[in-house]
Amino acid sequence: MEENNIEVKRLKKIYHEASVEVIAVDDVSFNVKSGEVVAVMGPSGSGKTTLLSIMGCILRPTSGEVIIKGIKTHEMDEHSLPEIRNRYIGFIFQAFNLFPALTALENVEVSLNLKGIKGKRAKEEAKQLLERVGLGDRVDFLPMDLSGGQKQRVSIARALANRPSIILADEPTGNLDSKTGHSVIELLRDLSVKEKSSVIIVTHDNRIMDMSDRVLYLEDGRLKNGANSKKR
Amino acid sequence: MVSIARKNLFHDKIRFIITLIGVTFSVVLIFAQVGIYLGFMQNASIVIDNTDVDIWITSKNTPNFDWAQAFPETKINLARETKGVLHAEKFILAWGVMKRKEGGTEQVEIIGYNPNSGIGGPWNMKEGRASDVKGGKHIIMDESAEKKMGEFHIGDEREVMNQKVKVIGITKGIKSFTTAPFIFTSYDTAKGLASYIGQDSTVFILVKTDPAENIHEIVQRLNERLKGVDVYTSRQFSNRTRWYWTVETGMGMGFLMTAFMGFAIGIVIVGQTIYTSTIEHLREYGTLKAIGANNLFIYKIIFEQAIVNAVIGYIVGFVITQFLIKGYEKTGLAMIIPNYLIVSVFFLTLLMCISASFISIRKATKIDPAIVFKV
Repeated sequence: MEENNIEVKRLKKIYHEASVEVIAVDDVSFNVKSGEVVAVMGPSGSGKTTLLSIMGCILRPTSGEVIIKGIKTHEMDEHSLPEIRNRYIGFIFQAFNLFPALTALENVEVSLNLKGIKGKRAKEEAKQLLERVGLGDRVDFLPMDLSGGQKQRVSIARALANRPSIILADEPTGNLDSKTGHSVIELLRDLSVKEKSSVIIVTHDNRIMDMSDRVLYLEDGRLKNGANSKKR
Repeated sequence: MVSIARKNLFHDKIRFIITLIGVTFSVVLIFAQVGIYLGFMQNASIVIDNTDVDIWITSKNTPNFDWAQAFPETKINLARETKGVLHAEKFILAWGVMKRKEGGTEQVEIIGYNPNSGIGGPWNMKEGRASDVKGGKHIIMDESAEKKMGEFHIGDEREVMNQKVKVIGITKGIKSFTTAPFIFTSYDTAKGLASYIGQDSTVFILVKTDPAENIHEIVQRLNERLKGVDVYTSRQFSNRTRWYWTVETGMGMGFLMTAFMGFAIGIVIVGQTIYTSTIEHLREYGTLKAIGANNLFIYKIIFEQAIVNAVIGYIVGFVITQFLIKGYEKTGLAMIIPNYLIVSVFFLTLLMCISASFISIRKATKIDPAIVFKV
C-alpha cells in the first residue's frame, strides 16, 4: 500500500483585512500518496495558492493539520520549518523564480548548497539534474538566455535537488506555450513515477487535469465534491 | 558554494559602481580630513615633540607653543635649584620678519637655543650642524621655507629684523603650524634679533629631570617655587597646544564634522543602494526561503554584499588617498595617515556598510511568503 506523503486535515486559513474576516481555506482535508499527481483547480481567489503555501510550510494555517511524512508541521515553530521545506518539499513557480545573476547550473547548485551539498559534488549533481530535464547543453546559460520552457525545466531541476517527497507546483505551464507546457507536464508526470514523489499542481490548465491522478476542485476556500473529485 | 551576494553585485554593474563610488568617496573624505588634521597637529607641536626635555615652563596662561609670552629669565635659577631637576635651559620663540630674496618680507618664527647643549635645537639636519649657529649671526632654515623665502643655500646672507644673518644649516620637514618658517639660531642671536623680548626675559625654560624622580612631583615643586609661570610636562604642553588649535579655534571640530559627514554620506549611499537592491531581489529572497533557506542565510547574503562593497571601496579609496597625499605634499603641507588610521578607517568602512544594510535585513526577513507565487 502506498504511504501518504502529505495529509491535510480540516485546514482553515482566515485573513483579517481591516475589520473584515476573509476565509481563504475552509475545512479542507485530503491526502496525497507517493507517486500520485494531484491537480488543484478552481477559479481565481478560490484559495488554491493559499492552500499550496500552507502545504509548503511557508504560511501557517489558522487551524487544522498538515502532516508531511508523518511530521506534524502545524505544531512546529517558525524556525524549524525551513528544514522541513529543505528536506521534503520542492517548489515550481509560474514565474520560474530563477536567480537572474546565476547560470542554470548555479541556480540548481544553490538548492543543493542549502541541503549541505557543496563544492564539486554539488556541481556534478546539479549538472546531472539539468541533464535529466534535458538541459545538459545549457548549464552555463543565464536565465535571460533561456526560453520559457527551458527556464521552467531549470526550476524543475532545482525543485528535484533534494529528491523531495512532495513537489508543489504553482501554475507550472501558465507562462508557457501549448507545446512547451505539454512537455513540462509530461516531465512532472514522469518524475512522480520514477521518484515516487507526490506532485500537487495548482492550475487552470485542463491538460493537467487530463494527466493527473486526481483533481481537487476548490471554490470559496472549500473543496467541492470532497477529496476525490476525479480519478484518472 | 555559489555566492549569490557576489553574483548579484557583479551582475548589476552600474549599481555596484555607484555603491563603490559612494564608499570610495567616504573613505577618501575621512582619510583626507583626518590626515590633514593630523598633519596640522603634528606641525602644531613639532618642536615640543622633537625637543629632548621633560618639562616646559611657560608664562602664565600660554595657550600654545606659537603664542608664548616672555617672563623673567632669572626664574631659571629657581628651576635649577629644584629637587629632581638635572638641567634647565632658556629657550626663545619670537616672531620676526625676514626679507625675501625677490623683495618684500615674510613673517618668521625665530627659535633661540643653547648651541652648546643643543637642547631645543633643530633635528633632521640636511646640511650643516645644529652647533654651527655659534660664533655669529648664523641661522638654520628648513628647506620648506624656499616656497616663501625663495631659494637659499649654505653661506647665503639674509636679513631678519633688519639685521644681516648667514644661513649655515638646512633642515628637512620642520614646518610650523602657522606656516611662518622656523629660523633656528643661538639663544643670544635670537635675543638680538627679537629685542622686544627684553634682555632679562626668556620665553620658555626647558627642563631635564632625574629619571629616578616622579615627573609630576617635580612639576608640582616647580609650580610651588616659580610663581607667575605655568609648568607642564612635554606631553601636557604638546596636548595643550594641539587642544588649543583643535578645540578652542574650532578647527578640529570642522575637520571632525567633515569626516563625520563623509561617514554619513557613505551610510546613506550604501544603505540606499543595498536597500534598492534588496527590494529588487525580494522575490529571490522569498524563493530562497521557500526552497529551505533560513533567515541567517539571507543575512549572510546581504552582509556579504555590504562587506564586498566595503572592502573594494576601501581599497580604491586608500589608493586614491595615496595619490592625494603626494599631491598635497607638493603644496608644502602634510597629510599624515598613520597605521592606526589605516586600520581604523577600514573597520569604520565595514561598520558603515554593515550598518547601512540593517534596514535591508529587516525588509528581507519580513517578506510576505506569498510573493513567491505572484507573477
